[in-house]
Amino acid sequence: MARALEGIRVLDLTVWFQGPVSAQYLADFGAEVIKIERPQGGDQARGVRSIKSLEIGDWNQYFLVINRNKKSVAIDLKTEGGREIMYRLVAESDVFLSNLAPSMLDAWGLSYDRLKAIRPDIIYATNTGYGRLGDVSKPSFDMTVQALTGIMARLGEPGEPPIYLGMGSGDAYGGIMSALGIVLALYQRRRTGRGQCLDASLYGAQLFLAAPFLQSYLAGKESVSLQQSRKQVDNPLWNLYPTAGKWVFLCEPNEDARWAALCRALGGTDLAADARFADADGRRRHNEALIEAIEQRTLGLGHAELMAAFGREGLAASPVNNLADVIRDEQAWRNGYFMKTWCEEVQREVDVRGLPVTLSRTPGEIRCLGPQLGQDTELVMMELLGYEWDEIEAMKARGAIP
Amino acid sequence: MDRPLDDVVVIDLTRLFCTSLGAAFLGDFGARVVRLEPLPQEAARTAAGWNHEADLIHRNKESLALDVRSGQGRALLHELVAKADVLLTDWSVPELAALGIDHAGASALRADIVFGRLSGFGPQGPDSGLPPIDELAAARTGMMPILPQPGQPPVYTGAGAMHSTAMLAFGVVTALLHRAASGEGQAVDVSLFGANMYGAALDIQAFLAIGKGDRLLNPISRLDVSNPMSGALYRSADGRWVTLTMPDTDRWWPVFSAAVGIAADDARFDTHDKRTESRRLELIHALEAAFATRPGGDWRRVFMEKQLSADVIERFDYPAADPQARANRYILELEHPSFGTVKSLGFPVFLSEGTARLDRLAPCIGQHTSQVLRDLLGYSEDAIHACRSAGVVA
Repeated sequence: MARALEGIRVLDLTVWFQGPVSAQYLADFGAEVIKIERPQGGDQARGVRSIKSLEIGDWNQYFLVINRNKKSVAIDLKTEGGREIMYRLVAESDVFLSNLAPSMLDAWGLSYDRLKAIRPDIIYATNTGYGRLGDVSKPSFDMTVQALTGIMARLGEPGEPPIYLGMGSGDAYGGIMSALGIVLALYQRRRTGRGQCLDASLYGAQLFLAAPFLQSYLAGKESVSLQQSRKQVDNPLWNLYPTAGKWVFLCEPNEDARWAALCRALGGTDLAADARFADADGRRRHNEALIEAIEQRTLGLGHAELMAAFGREGLAASPVNNLADVIRDEQAWRNGYFMKTWCEEVQREVDVRGLPVTLSRTPGEIRCLGPQLGQDTELVMMELLGYEWDEIEAMKARGAIP
Repeated sequence: MDRPLDDVVVIDLTRLFCTSLGAAFLGDFGARVVRLEPLPQEAARTAAGWNHEADLIHRNKESLALDVRSGQGRALLHELVAKADVLLTDWSVPELAALGIDHAGASALRADIVFGRLSGFGPQGPDSGLPPIDELAAARTGMMPILPQPGQPPVYTGAGAMHSTAMLAFGVVTALLHRAASGEGQAVDVSLFGANMYGAALDIQAFLAIGKGDRLLNPISRLDVSNPMSGALYRSADGRWVTLTMPDTDRWWPVFSAAVGIAADDARFDTHDKRTESRRLELIHALEAAFATRPGGDWRRVFMEKQLSADVIERFDYPAADPQARANRYILELEHPSFGTVKSLGFPVFLSEGTARLDRLAPCIGQHTSQVLRDLLGYSEDAIHACRSAGVVA
């Protein structure tokens, strides 16, 4: 089957999550991604053993899923021999991607200027913490950068601690932004023949995680930066309600016809007759009383019962599921958001996150899970770079490769 | 200046913030984005003052107002689609089919079109027809119950919709690359459900692999965090919160312990195992007490000085005033013709040779109708006048 990024070679000098997931998007759509790792231990994510104090199980899904479809070449970039191999790889590649600190890349002779001299049309992509300009220099991880964007502080009930969007939430977003930047640069190069450098930072991406609210704040609406209680939302018809089982998210505009349908679903003639709630303006002004009145009724029902009643009235709503529900969700499997793939490490099929971007003619695919450290070093050196076997032995003796 | 998508024409048939912003990203990087505004326009509900949302999600676009209900309007729509490289939409399949511009229809008009569509739950499966409402998609994803503290209501973040914006733009440009190589167009599908799932990458993948675990099904109290030095939240003396990400505690402990006033060789906490396993709760309480002794601003200075991976949790006033956000054009200061100097979100990605542009703010409805009909379809002034008189365009 045709692959959208067939023929594009990417050098992936990334660790942990943002950089690897960025290259994963390219690999899924057919780019040849060569992951460059240090010989001792490789990408630190190979060492992940638990998640939320839970044993990760017999295979490292943290590392193997986001590094799927990639090759692994182990090189010690601190050695002269290692840099020589790296430069020969650069000469054969279209994209260089790294989420290491720019100062570290400079120290290893891997600055944009240096690589451009070797491969003039290289696309040189970095994933910095806070952007390439400005003078901020401090460690950057998903959550410490998310902390600065303001998105955490506005979530949750008033007085409760701020809310983190979930493990890897910011890295995942930085990763797709980086992939977007890379395909844009590839598209431009196709026409102009020129490469360029690009940066997709964790901060720049995460500022867009709350774009509708941050934009509103920038225009002067300060309240959007603060926590707001679900007991006080303007439109009680668009809100979360507890039931005897799961919570239910009701999503309807504050319109008379929708209100009438909700009253029928809740079986409350008294609600429909309540003059305070008779029109949209009243429902907005008496929002707290209305939310309480609806809640009193939903609490007496199971979520399935409530959803059935909502369904009969054509009301848009969903139960608030948990992770045990989503992994069984037919919709997720039917659309390839989850897939089954072979795991060499445990010699069985495992369930993995699939392809969230669906291309009809060149669908992505999972050819293999993440590589073993350095598994392709010799093959890539021989086949792609034309090293002879005795030269490879010499590189080993010099400590450039394991 | 040259930009990546200078040779790309996009027809923008979108209603939602996230999809409109996806089209704007293509425009930022050079695409000619023609936004179709169906006539008759609903009664405008514009609030007084600056329409900050439109100036973000419709920047750099041209606007063409068109009545697609008439046969003549439909024909004009088809002429436009035939000239488009990309059609980007969040309309339902039946709506598009009724206009003859679902994927099959659009491909018949323009064989190599890239047809980008956002749906609620994906093009396949029993729920493919559900409306694209991000709250419904987020509720299905399984993450909402575990984001808050125990006992609190589920949390909707809105981040899934923003994830779909970047995914749609990525998918479209990837399809354009394939088209450039092969001459073939195709459909690009992204859903709010899939985007929410990918935004919650690690928890979902962990549960998928492990298949059980209360700590993935129920909220974890911040006072029971798995690693007291990573993912933790502590309240400082002035009520501002600090957060830490130092998963490999051995590396950070010598400097970190000094910063919070615990002896590095304190026998309670002198190994990673003690810090994250046997003495975990004790360390959490020690840190809770330590962080409560000084205000957030002090802690930021300490974190900076010691180059610790930690920070203070800020509100929007922080990025709004942050020189770093300005220097990198994540937040712009711009001159608005009616409202003077205003701030707006800028561009999340920097390209050295294809720098994102801000050529103009959101267009008025129908502002570029004549221009588009002339440039793109080669209509004469007379023909444009005739369309206007017939009420087909405005």
